[in-house]
Amino acid sequence: MSLTATSFDWVRELVRKESAIVLQPGKEYLVEARLLPIARQMGLPDVGKLVDTVRTRPSADDTRKIVEALTTNETSWFRDGDPFTALTSTVLPALLSARGANERLQIWSAACSSGQEPYTIAMLLDDALPNAASRVSITATDLSREMVQRTRAGRFSQLEVNRGLPAPMLVRHFTRAGTEWEVSANLRRMVNATECNLAAPLPRMGPFDVVYLRNVLIYFDLPTKQSILRRVRDLMRPDGWLFLGAAETTLGVDDSWERVVIGRSSAYRPLKGK
Amino acid sequence: MSTIDTGARRRTTDPRPVITDLIDGDTILSIAGDAWISLVGEDEVLVPLPGPLPGDILSSWVDVVGPWTGSVVLTTARATAEELSRALLRESAPEVLDDEDVADAFGEIANVVGGSVKAALPGPSALSLPQVGNAPLVRNPGDVCRVDVVWRGEPLTISVQGALPPLPVPSPTRENEVSL
Amino acid sequence: MRALVIDDSRAMRRIVTGILTDLGYEVRDAGHGGEGLEVLNEGWAPDLATIDWNMPVMDGLQFVSAVRSNPAWRRMTMMMVTSESEHTQIVRALAAGAHEYMIKPFTADAFRDKLALLGLLPQEVAL
Repeated sequence: MSLTATSFDWVRELVRKESAIVLQPGKEYLVEARLLPIARQMGLPDVGKLVDTVRTRPSADDTRKIVEALTTNETSWFRDGDPFTALTSTVLPALLSARGANERLQIWSAACSSGQEPYTIAMLLDDALPNAASRVSITATDLSREMVQRTRAGRFSQLEVNRGLPAPMLVRHFTRAGTEWEVSANLRRMVNATECNLAAPLPRMGPFDVVYLRNVLIYFDLPTKQSILRRVRDLMRPDGWLFLGAAETTLGVDDSWERVVIGRSSAYRPLKGK
Repeated sequence: MSTIDTGARRRTTDPRPVITDLIDGDTILSIAGDAWISLVGEDEVLVPLPGPLPGDILSSWVDVVGPWTGSVVLTTARATAEELSRALLRESAPEVLDDEDVADAFGEIANVVGGSVKAALPGPSALSLPQVGNAPLVRNPGDVCRVDVVWRGEPLTISVQGALPPLPVPSPTRENEVSL
Repeated sequence: MRALVIDDSRAMRRIVTGILTDLGYEVRDAGHGGEGLEVLNEGWAPDLATIDWNMPVMDGLQFVSAVRSNPAWRRMTMMMVTSESEHTQIVRALAAGAHEYMIKPFTADAFRDKLALLGLLPQEVAL
């Protein structure tokens, strides 16, 4: 063990402050195992030296790496499947009848993490449309450079594909790549991943027909939530559809949206004139 | 149609792969780490540190038979194998674990690790049922990829080792050949 | 709801049984496919069978085929739970009639995700 009690306490406090997750005493081995790859990557011999280095010369990038290594959990594919069911049952038919045959549908996965959400959308559309690759473009963005790179690579560990990806979809859209699974080139071509900070002015993108902005707003205070929703709305088509996380709503935050119930989920659409 | 495969062509142009050409220690460590997280417990980590194994050890393994043929072997102190079995069974662990309980649980871990190792190797391959006892002998020291780890402070090794002796030095005559 | 857990490893049967009983399932188990068929032949009708692949006596794929050949058991959902994880193996199992496929190792969360996909996650714990 290279980790002293003081270093462990520093890591605990950092993680608590940044993620509200509390590491119980006795988790020294966990910290050691998860942070060792970061230490090695930085050319340091052990985790103790890593903590010393980051403590004496703090950098947002290193801090984020440490917090992400200790807090990331695998994301599910279809676990909260209702917003995806709504896409194929209601949203897609509505868009296909409203748009011209040559108009490309633009979909935005606004916090794409390691890519499960944009590829879930891509798989559904590929199964629903004969010419999905030329008809649809999916923009995937995330704050984290590492997550954007992972999304671009389209590779998932065994544990990740076990999380709610239906086996028929796995065999149809993925191939084995060593110990990992790689999403098909066809789907990767549909997804365009780039870095984007939702809390800052957004790059020129869109206009989007559908936006998935799930489990992002919960991390921000009310004024930031309001400005994010406003900026997202500016990048959407007037008849577009916005999906939020199951615990999120525009109600009481921004009154320029209309809530539409689709099956067991809700979508939000820009109100005209607001 | 039937042809007699003497193996001569395969041996001269396409030598049998050794495990280190097919998988590395980091991959084995990550496979074992995933198995531990899901079978033993979410915070149960394997730290890649070498430690001396004691005298009283136990192994569990599965055989992989395919383009590469060998075994995926876990070896640790008998007491650690028991602790591992207990961790696996959690609240349903009996008060006193008998040999069969340990063989079953420790064997299942070898099965899970072996399944993932097999998937990372060129296929098609078949996986045997797990076995527990004294590990199969290393037949070819050049066909072994071994990872030493520490779990809850106790040393454990994961060895992916070929089952076949080294190939004879290629020779233009067929007299030195051994059957595969 | 009822589940039949088929695995030759007692440890694995206990792990899967633990996850399912926590969700409110009534569980019976079997050490290989043949024992699994005996349970079904008694008339005990599970909603779900979780099936290991490599087992002595009768393996998981043979069990799936046997269940598929009997229309009386058509209602039962079958999920392979196995360390066999190649693409071709998953295709074989689905072609034989398995509905889902869970690769070992898995976490309890991953198991619940699969049940949710199959519509077999009891509503009260569906979050």
